[in-house]
Amino acid sequence: MSYAQPHPRFSVLSSSSLASAEHLSTASSTRFSLSSAPSINTATGAPAKSPAQRPSIYDRPLNKARAAEVSASAFAFLFSEVVQYTQKRVSGINDLERRLNTLGYRVGTRVLELMTWRNEASSKAPKREIRFLPALMSIHTQLWRAVFGRPADAIEKSVENADECASALLQRAQPMILPADPAPDMIIDNDPPITRHISVPRDMSQLSCSSFTAGVVEAVLDGLGFPARVTAHNTPTDQYPARTTILIKLEKSVLDREEALKM
Amino acid sequence: MSHHLFLLSPSDTPLYNLTHYSSKPAQPTSTSPLASNLPSWSTSAFAGTLTALSGATSATQAHHVQGGTVRIGGGQDRHVIQMIANASLDVIEEVVRKESIMYLKSVDKFNEWTVSAFVTPGNMKFVLLHEARNDDGIKTFFNEVWELYVKTMLNPFHTAHTPIRSPVFDARVRASAKKYL
Repeated sequence: MSYAQPHPRFSVLSSSSLASAEHLSTASSTRFSLSSAPSINTATGAPAKSPAQRPSIYDRPLNKARAAEVSASAFAFLFSEVVQYTQKRVSGINDLERRLNTLGYRVGTRVLELMTWRNEASSKAPKREIRFLPALMSIHTQLWRAVFGRPADAIEKSVENADECASALLQRAQPMILPADPAPDMIIDNDPPITRHISVPRDMSQLSCSSFTAGVVEAVLDGLGFPARVTAHNTPTDQYPARTTILIKLEKSVLDREEALKM
Repeated sequence: MSHHLFLLSPSDTPLYNLTHYSSKPAQPTSTSPLASNLPSWSTSAFAGTLTALSGATSATQAHHVQGGTVRIGGGQDRHVIQMIANASLDVIEEVVRKESIMYLKSVDKFNEWTVSAFVTPGNMKFVLLHEARNDDGIKTFFNEVWELYVKTMLNPFHTAHTPIRSPVFDARVRASAKKYL
């Protein structure tokens, strides 16, 4: 076969099951909806058929089925296995975050197409996002709603006089940040559902399992034509100990293009 | 009358292509003067390519002179079709940055061929070469192909660079081509 196989270590993780577990219903934030993902035989599907007549993936509707939801506990279990599996095979925190990011990326490419299809396919003239700010807004609301069942808590642009927290964060993320570099954008989630049941040991305190989410965001931005480096960081506050910041650092070509389009 | 569909990945790798011959009647044809004047050596291996490409000059001349449509025998040549589709990618690339609509109708023209395209949010490009105007039909066709593509993509064994070989996908695309083109 001529196509690139995923790394054998990753092959256990069917990204379909991840992807499907990620498509959350808007109905409730604690239940994770299962899309009509091909590899999953939902018990609540059509009347029982013999395996030979299993309908092809092209026969299944792409629309969200309310009945096909999977519980948050099931997803939490799956994600914990993902983290454990990955952790056994890496040499450090950075490596672990990168692997989680890669897994999220695979989910993100699918979420982007599916989410847009669900929103736009019925409209007369389906549209894509071509400007960065609307794209960021749609990630904040639509993507978060599709994946986590509710919009993210805030979008921030770290400015020069940003609060200490953000600048400390920048120091860590970009040790050699140039003064001319434009400030990265940040998406903030006060209590990310995927890490709700994860308690990171003290000696790994830098680790943020939301790297997975960062991967999803990176894939979406990439797909829309805004290549960026996306990372996740813990930024706890007294009120929200699990507060997480997704840091988006756009490539220079994107910034140049945005500048040109402004005129 | 024929239609040619190409599905191209974000890195412009062709993942799927389809040639569809419509039952609808073709437009009246006229032979291009240049094509008929081709020297005898054009019966060589490159004859088809030459004939098809020679249409380029004659077509532009014809448009200037009489504004009529010119069709030439080599229009079906595989290489030329692929070249036209690939050449149109430049135009598409330029347009997708400015247009937020996914369906780009008639982005490019070459001889008798009009190129329409559809760009998905994930930057997959569907390119269709067609001869007659049929905006609504093509739009519906593209929408169906998009749905089929999203279903393909949800398959964990499909990556952005996997050629699409599913016979069901092929049958579905053919069916909707028959219906709308």
